[in-house]
Amino acid sequence: MATQPYYTPRAASSPYWNPYLETLPRAQLDALQLTKVQALVRHAYEHSAFYRRRFDEAGLHPDDIRTLDDYKRKVPLTDKSDFIRYQDERPPYGDTGAVPEEYVGHHCETSGTTGSPLRIPLTPYDTERYGEGWCYGWWGLGIRPHDSFYFAFNWGLFAGFWSAYWGLRRFGAKLLSGGGQNSEGHVRLMQRLRPTVLVSTPTYALHLAEVARELGIEPASIGVKFTYHAGEPGPNAVPAMRRQLEESWGARAGELLGLGEQHAFAPGCPTGEGVHVDESAMFAWVRDPQSGEEVPEGEVGENILTSFTNNAQPLLNYRTHDLVRPYRSCACGRTWTFFRGVVLGRTDFMVTVRGTNVYQSAVENVLGGIAGLSHHYELVLTREKGLDQMAVRAEPAPDYPADAYATLAAAAARAIREALKVRLDVILLPPGTLPRYELKTKRIVDQRPREVRYALER
Amino acid sequence: MEREEALEKIAAARALIREVARETDSPLVAQCMRFAEQNLHWAQWNLGEFTSLAPELEGSQPTSVP
Repeated sequence: MATQPYYTPRAASSPYWNPYLETLPRAQLDALQLTKVQALVRHAYEHSAFYRRRFDEAGLHPDDIRTLDDYKRKVPLTDKSDFIRYQDERPPYGDTGAVPEEYVGHHCETSGTTGSPLRIPLTPYDTERYGEGWCYGWWGLGIRPHDSFYFAFNWGLFAGFWSAYWGLRRFGAKLLSGGGQNSEGHVRLMQRLRPTVLVSTPTYALHLAEVARELGIEPASIGVKFTYHAGEPGPNAVPAMRRQLEESWGARAGELLGLGEQHAFAPGCPTGEGVHVDESAMFAWVRDPQSGEEVPEGEVGENILTSFTNNAQPLLNYRTHDLVRPYRSCACGRTWTFFRGVVLGRTDFMVTVRGTNVYQSAVENVLGGIAGLSHHYELVLTREKGLDQMAVRAEPAPDYPADAYATLAAAAARAIREALKVRLDVILLPPGTLPRYELKTKRIVDQRPREVRYALER
Repeated sequence: MEREEALEKIAAARALIREVARETDSPLVAQCMRFAEQNLHWAQWNLGEFTSLAPELEGSQPTSVP
């Protein structure tokens, strides 16, 4: 069976999950976005005390939003800390909610690694819309509803994982849940159930491949045709990660960029070079962190998001702290805003080393291309004499000879200097030294004083 | 099917579904209609036809700002 029988041949052969909206000319798309943004502003103003207060303080009324520029410039920016503060003052959702609590069908939370978690209320319809974000990327990559998905994670309160499930329900494919398994259990279950799609964080997919080999199972023999990832920089952000994933699993790798409190908002582009903002469900613009102005196409700035999929707790002009490089067109034919390279780094982890902006993704790309290095590494940020410093701590591949570590470290430092024009110390540690993560791998270790960084972590 | 024709039929289907939702005495059927209507709203939305932001709140009185 090639695909579900309820598709017309034209639908079945479409390269797009939603051909009309994914290729809508920019002027029409912007006109539609304005209509949605105006409705959302009104909804937030009328039903959320938080937004009513914010708007009143700014002397702003929903009628004042007549253009998208009005929206970008006049509607106050919001941040995760705003929501956490008001939620903590009056749990569960404080003044930030915009529907009665009985309308909340699903409660999710962020991990709360730096303090209180952010609570995320969603109506049942919000979850449907949220899940749809995954479908665009799956379909675009060639995954079809006759495929079977293995989810190598436990759900808990984490919106990202649940959203993959909501998406799969909309997509119509078969779910093979790996909930409750350890890594060996995942491998053995996959070997028995033979999924065609593996969904996990990218580093965990690499870890599962390592575990499979330790068990004497060649990962590619399991029969996975696609691996699909979220939660940390993946194959569309880091080409070296793509190579490792695709070689390990004998599969095609894809990536989605999501933000728990917002949406599965940017499905991977089939070109493999970035992600597209799901402009059915989101409005995004990119802001220069210094000037506050919108950056021109191709320039780096902070991604500012507005979601139409979270009506229970509207998120307007929400700061993501993610640095992105936006484009308005793409070789794949989608008109939805394209972030080449996905996320380049974080505004709160942005470092300038000897006058050069160093983006996390750029360093990761170089490291991933160095033969002999494993995918276990972290970037250590420090502050010395008023200046940012970055060092790399990395593990060589397990079979790399210990007497050649110094040579490998020098080669890595040289590769970084040649590619990024910046000198970073590279420290090699014995295999197994750095921590392993099943959820999100922590790449950045920020040891700078608190006053020079923002401690906002997802 | 062309977009305009699809939108016309979806709007008609939503009207029929609302009628059943208003009149049915079965909680199960009411819930079926609710999901069906949300899906049709989502189809309209994704064909670029904006009818409302939050149909799940229509016909109810969401919390107003105190």
